Amino acid sequence: MRDLESENELLEDISARFDTDGWVQRERRVWVKVSKENLISMCKYLKETGFEHLSAISVTDWLKDGEFELTYHLWSYERKTLLTIKTRIDRENPIAPSVSPIWSRNAQVHEREMHEMFGVEFEGNDDLAPLFLEDWQGPPPFRKDFDWREYARKEYYNKDNEREAVYYE
Amino acid sequence: MNEQMALEPIGKNEYELFFGPAHPGSGNFSVKLKVDGERIISARADPGYLHRGFEKLMEYRLPIQNAVLSDRICIFEALNWNLIHAEAVDELMGIEIPERAKYIRVIMAELSRIQSHIIWYGVFSIGTGFDTGFKMAFGYRDYILDLFEMITGGRVYPTGYICPGGVRRDIPEGSEEKILGVLNKIDEMVKLEMMGNPALLSRVKDIGILKLSDAIRLGATGPVLRASGMKSDVRKNDPYEVYDRFDFEVPVSNEGDAYARYMIGIEEIKQSISIIKQALKELPDGDFVAKEFKKPKLNIKIPEGEVYVRNEISRGEAGMYMVSDGGTTPYRVKIRGPSFLHMIPVLEFLLRGSQIADVPAIYWSLNICPADLDR
Repeated sequence: MRDLESENELLEDISARFDTDGWVQRERRVWVKVSKENLISMCKYLKETGFEHLSAISVTDWLKDGEFELTYHLWSYERKTLLTIKTRIDRENPIAPSVSPIWSRNAQVHEREMHEMFGVEFEGNDDLAPLFLEDWQGPPPFRKDFDWREYARKEYYNKDNEREAVYYE
Repeated sequence: MNEQMALEPIGKNEYELFFGPAHPGSGNFSVKLKVDGERIISARADPGYLHRGFEKLMEYRLPIQNAVLSDRICIFEALNWNLIHAEAVDELMGIEIPERAKYIRVIMAELSRIQSHIIWYGVFSIGTGFDTGFKMAFGYRDYILDLFEMITGGRVYPTGYICPGGVRRDIPEGSEEKILGVLNKIDEMVKLEMMGNPALLSRVKDIGILKLSDAIRLGATGPVLRASGMKSDVRKNDPYEVYDRFDFEVPVSNEGDAYARYMIGIEEIKQSISIIKQALKELPDGDFVAKEFKKPKLNIKIPEGEVYVRNEISRGEAGMYMVSDGGTTPYRVKIRGPSFLHMIPVLEFLLRGSQIADVPAIYWSLNICPADLDR
């Protein structure tokens, strides 16, 4: 295994500029934490320094902390490094700035999915219409407190139907 | 066009047109087109027909169950998705994979890539009205499915053959000759593909041109990005398993049209054949699964942590983000399928301004899979 010189260099550069926490996991994998306020300026800086490819945006629901964790997985074709940015937002008031002005339609459609599945609002995203779910009336389904078994029982089964009554036992 | 159409007049010459979601025409996916005469003014992707909520399902299941579930992410590339899931769990648990297992994983992933590229050729042909290509492709694909049946027990779904820790069974004796025999058959198929049917070429040349700057901006990966001129392959740039030990080329083209994308696919089949031959030659002896997983254990705890695993599958970059809080099931799984961006931003962008007759050529040239888009 080679030494992690270029990964450490990248992490030092970002930490010095944005006063953040981070770690090098292994070769080509760097993780940094950033506050919601610094997210956009950090993303702008990273895009300029070669992180042109937004691989994915994901949300993790930390129910017991009362927070959503947004992760942005970025790949640089030049540095050949995957950088993950992590930022936490309040679960009760899930508003995050949109990165779609930076990564264009790519970010826009990822945010659209995360809006549908977790109910996170992305300020500045022009199109957060439903993507996968049709006529969905329930709460955002990927949240940890959404009990899909209970929801299906309530919405789709009939207690009086002999064959479906087993779901209520 | 063999699609079922719904016409809705808007202006004098403007109307709305549905492409799909008839399975033989577009797969489980549709695009809403706004058309002026024959020209497309705007396109809006309409996914969701195959949404099964795998990311949520995996939060309720053990890794041994998720290995089986991961087959279903994409029908055509079950083994590749098996591999991505297994790698994510391996990395979280810090398991050392035996050398032999790594080689078997590579051989299976490359066989899967070849059969996926053959399907691409098949659906691309039938989409543009060249039925012979479709029948030929599915005929030759069956040789590889025979190999899958022999090695994994399943023709299309290997039911978690590539599992955390290695692979579920060793490859049976005599497989090497059989694999080499099938590769010769595939060589034959590639020669037929290379002949270039004029009816097919006239429909795909200079159609759906994607410039490099647009490809990067819209997040294209894999053959789509390479056909636009970027030499980028996860197997080379972010190597996993033992890909750094093999000698292979990354085909690139600068044209960026439907024809270039399809030619990249054919070149990649040749490279995959070469990788499999090298892997078979160097295949070491030893265990096929790590010691911890010799006997399948149900309730293993996944150590706390998070990983992002990337693989190059036939359609492009596939990723899996897995978070564990120390329980027996993953806390959160995010699956990143390459078709997600190819079928929404890239497709919408390419269709704008093109002709109705070119829709199938553009659509199928992106090597798409609605299953890994919807998950």
